[in-house]
Amino acid sequence: MKKLFTIVLLLAFALLANMSLVTADHHGWWAEAAAPYAGTTIRGVSESTPPSNYVADVLAPLFTEYTGINVEFETTSWDQMYSKAINDMEANTGIYDFVYIEQDIIYSYLAQDYLVNLTQAAADHPDLAFADYDEAAFTSFADYFKNADGDLFGVPMEAFVKVYLYRKDLFENADIQAAFEADYGYPLTPAETFEQYRDNAEFFTGYGEGMDMDLWGTTVQGSTGHPASTYEFLESIGPSFGLYNWGINLETGSAQSANGGALDGDTAVEALSYWVGLLPFAPPEATSSTWDEVASSFAAGRAAQGWVYGENAAWIATDETRSAITGNVGVRLPVTAPGVIEDAEMGNGYIGYYDGGAFGIPHSSRNKEATLLWLQFIGQPSVQAEWAAAGARITHTATFDDPLIAEQDTKVDGYYTLLEEQGPLFAGAPPFPFHAQVREIIDPFIHRVILGELTAAEGLSQAAAAVDEELARLGYGG
Amino acid sequence: MRNPRTGWLLLSPTLIILIIFGFAPFLYVLFVGFNQWNVFSAEDGLIFNGLDNFRRLVFDEDFLHSVGLTLRFAIFAIGSQIVLGFLLAQMLTRNFPGKSIFRVIHTLPLMVAPIAVGAIWRLLVIPGFGPVPFFLDRWFDFDYRIGTYPDQAMLTSVIMDVWHWTPFVTLTMLAGLSAIPREPVEQAKVDGANRLQVFWYVTLPFLRPVLLTTVFIRIMDAIRTVDEVWMLAGGGPGTRFTGIYIWRVVFPRTDYGYGSSISIITLYLTIVLCWLLFIAISGKSKDEVE
Repeated sequence: MKKLFTIVLLLAFALLANMSLVTADHHGWWAEAAAPYAGTTIRGVSESTPPSNYVADVLAPLFTEYTGINVEFETTSWDQMYSKAINDMEANTGIYDFVYIEQDIIYSYLAQDYLVNLTQAAADHPDLAFADYDEAAFTSFADYFKNADGDLFGVPMEAFVKVYLYRKDLFENADIQAAFEADYGYPLTPAETFEQYRDNAEFFTGYGEGMDMDLWGTTVQGSTGHPASTYEFLESIGPSFGLYNWGINLETGSAQSANGGALDGDTAVEALSYWVGLLPFAPPEATSSTWDEVASSFAAGRAAQGWVYGENAAWIATDETRSAITGNVGVRLPVTAPGVIEDAEMGNGYIGYYDGGAFGIPHSSRNKEATLLWLQFIGQPSVQAEWAAAGARITHTATFDDPLIAEQDTKVDGYYTLLEEQGPLFAGAPPFPFHAQVREIIDPFIHRVILGELTAAEGLSQAAAAVDEELARLGYGG
Repeated sequence: MRNPRTGWLLLSPTLIILIIFGFAPFLYVLFVGFNQWNVFSAEDGLIFNGLDNFRRLVFDEDFLHSVGLTLRFAIFAIGSQIVLGFLLAQMLTRNFPGKSIFRVIHTLPLMVAPIAVGAIWRLLVIPGFGPVPFFLDRWFDFDYRIGTYPDQAMLTSVIMDVWHWTPFVTLTMLAGLSAIPREPVEQAKVDGANRLQVFWYVTLPFLRPVLLTTVFIRIMDAIRTVDEVWMLAGGGPGTRFTGIYIWRVVFPRTDYGYGSSISIITLYLTIVLCWLLFIAISGKSKDEVE
């Protein structure tokens, strides 16, 4: 027994020694590689999200401890993040050494040659290449940050898909199921068709009213003062009906059906009419809701089902301090029209937006080498699992198999499994070098349709014409 | 004997700062306004396009709509502030219990940054969570949703602005009222003038310079309102004022040329509006002014 205890003790010591050696070895590498830059301060800007906050609170101090390079990381609002980064890169002021690149803006940045080619930079500085950092180990989401040659321009730091969330406590309640079946003549289940989704929404709105509960049938990200509503239509609802690439034909440079576009086509009109038709079944805050408010509404138990960004799925399902429905969250793929899944599987379409962002180095940065080290630090596999657990983001293939994530996966009804297995059905934004410019043009028309000032057909017809005008002005149209 | 050189020398730091931070940027905006410049266009850099930007904004329905909304906002907000500010100033010229405390509390909104004002009001009125829609619904069965009803968004913006800036008007009016000599007022009363006549024929003429200055300052503020309204409603329908429209054109759309031309026209409109009001309130024609 004594002998066994000694062996176990020795093994434990050996393991600990090995672990500390590995750590010391890595620590040593970072310190050695960063020695010429110790004391340097690198600055970055990002949107204030759980993954970004984790970077600011955990990864940045850890990197400083390893390298002596200070990281000043500014987390701000979505609008401000864009403005600050673009102004800095355009004016070449060099305020920021790394910027958050929202996936949908990457093509605009690449077209303007704002960003450093990270693949090339790593090849040019072999002394700064960390052995555990491997571009090929990122999920397919990284493909949306590459140029035609396959070179990477941003290290993915967060990636999500917009999923269909529903309240299991309502959908699995026997009394509610019976009431639904009595009303609609078929069993209550999470929606698989748009008709079913609408029936569910209508039923739960009536149920909430009848029971004097603050409960509505669906979320709608329908803010009339924010681009979030346009994004929900163009990147979630539209694709699930079969409207891809915002209905803009890049070859003809047109959004109008007459010129090869589809923004004013039948599919788009059908999708927008359907979505706006859900507003009577959405909570009263729907027309003021961006992605944040949608998540808050759902977490407060005010909607029975909805389209919710995956970054919120984990905390809604598990964080009792912020969510009233922990343990009762169901996760499914969003509802799609017939043929859309097949389109996505064949690579001819997608069912929704593969959302997220990466950190890239602007050419205007004055500390590119130090920042290259930093980006590899956040891209190494060893920091991924804790980061994923804190922010529900996965950008690294190995993270899916981590025990920490496997455990959390069961609590979020298989969200991470869905991300791993069905992620390729989603796609990044269309490769437009004019993303924000055209979206700004479409916004007012979507807002007016939500307000009922225009019908879906009128709104989309006017929007398509305005888009074509803007594309011509920008030099991309016919 | 005064040496003018000394005066210019003392003024020079201020003049240099004004030229660098005021005049030079204005000239730059003026220059950009005559160019097509969108950093994300296919053709990079500034392209001189003469008066095209100005021609474009004449037919830009969104811009014209934003001007209309801004004027509505300015008229309702400033009108309410002037009336309320005057009444409160009148009240504060008299003694009443708790006057000092009231004066302090009344002035507090002035110390709050506009962005914080917008945030406070957003929390108050956000549908589904804010107390205002909750109680309006519970007590009066009134559907109050600023994201759905543009008129409600506009009205809320006006009320928020009145809450924020009325204390400023009160203070200026109070200063004006305190400067009015007692003799003309007493003489008018002795001559049998009633309160309305005293106000109209004595108080108002004496207050005119203060009133004019206050209205000018508030008009300029109202026309360039962005932050608090942005925070409140995100520039949604009913609150898409000119300042917010310019922000959208310049930042998310990065259309610097067109944004500059709108800025110049907005400045021009502000000057014209102030001039018209100056003539209307002071009662002076252009010749008299000269």
